[in-house]
Order: sequence, then C-alpha cells, then structure tokens
Amino acid sequence: MKITRSAALTALALLMLGLPGLATAEGDISAGRDKAYTCMGCHAVDGYRNAYPSYRVPKLGGQHAEYIVLALKAYKAGDRQHGTMQALASTLSEQDMEDIAAYFASAGQEESE
Amino acid sequence: MMRVIQNALVMIAMLMAGTVVAQPIGDREAGREKSASCVACHGEVGVSSNPEWPNLAGQHPDYIVHALQAYKSGDRQNALMNGQAADLSTEDMRDLAAYYSSQDAEVYTPARTSR
Repeated sequence: MKITRSAALTALALLMLGLPGLATAEGDISAGRDKAYTCMGCHAVDGYRNAYPSYRVPKLGGQHAEYIVLALKAYKAGDRQHGTMQALASTLSEQDMEDIAAYFASAGQEESE
Repeated sequence: MMRVIQNALVMIAMLMAGTVVAQPIGDREAGREKSASCVACHGEVGVSSNPEWPNLAGQHPDYIVHALQAYKSGDRQNALMNGQAADLSTEDMRDLAAYYSSQDAEVYTPARTSR
C-alpha cells in the first residue's frame, strides 16, 4: 500500500513537472520546430546582432510561450516597430504563433544536444 | 605551426569577447535598487509569475535596453510598459539591464536544429 502511494505521488510529481510546458501552451512543439526554421537564422545564433540599432537579438529559449505569442501578435498588429519581425509575424497565423512559442519555451529541453 | 595558429585564434576570440564585455552596460547594484517596481511583475530573480510577462534573468543586457527604449519612445505599445519606461533615463535602463542580465539565466539561445 505504501509503495502504491509513493508511486502515485511520484507520478503526480512527474505530471506537475510536465504541466507547465504542456498545459500553458496550446501550441504543438513538434510543429513549432518546423515553423521556427526561419526564426533560428537569428535566434539560434549565439550573440547574433540586430544591425541598426545594434543590439543582440533576444534569447528565446526558456521564455514563456504566452509572452512570445503576445510579442508576435504585437509585431503583426504594428504595436511593435521592427521591420523584419513585423514582416515575419504578418505571415503567421495564431496557431503558427502558438506552435513556435511552444517550441521556444521548451527548446533543447526535450532533446539532448 | 598548428600551435601558432591555434594560439592566434584563441587571442582573437579573447579580443572579440572583450569588445562585448567592454560595452557600457551599467551598474548591477544600482539596477537592483532601481528595480523595485519591476520585480512586482518580473520577479526578484527575473522569473515572472505570469506567463504573459517575459522572464528577464540572463537576457542580453543590450536587448533589455533596446526594449525599454522602444517602450519609452512608443515604438512598442504596451499599456503597462509605456508608463514604466517613460521616466527611465538611459543610465537607469543600463543599470536595470545589468541587474537582470546578470541573474541566473532562465532564458538561453536554443541550439539550431536540423530540419
């Protein structure tokens, strides 16, 4: 009985560990990996700089998926001014944004490098 | 010969790393003192409690400064952040960026995956 209970607790703990990634994002990580291909040209290059003004593009690995979706929507709506990001975001559907966000939020954690 | 080339490459790498470090990024301790209103949302260790707000711990400091400038200038429209950034000087932004970027990294540059 005691073993069953600790097994149940372990299972619950594992579920809770998994939940932040799975439950918060409606996005599909695997689809997001494909859709993020263009993003990786800048955001997967360590220290990659935006040309003008000059600053390093943000690290997105481990970022909240919800925040990434909101940022992409803001670029698409013109609430964030950035030529490249507005152009890219304008091609994305809401599902695309959620998939891409889910991928970045978990990037590298589901696979060993 | 290989050795010489190797040493030269290491020196070049160190020089390049130095140019990044040498940028005027701000005072981390001053940033901590100025962060009182930031921590309510972004957390004391740069990890936000609400997933709609970004984690800042370990983010590039120059990006944080850029984002704050965009909120101040209106290039980024956000009801909360426009107000927060309005009264920040460039020095304030650099100090805050130094503070948050130096925290134990929550965000990272993901590895490029093959398709």
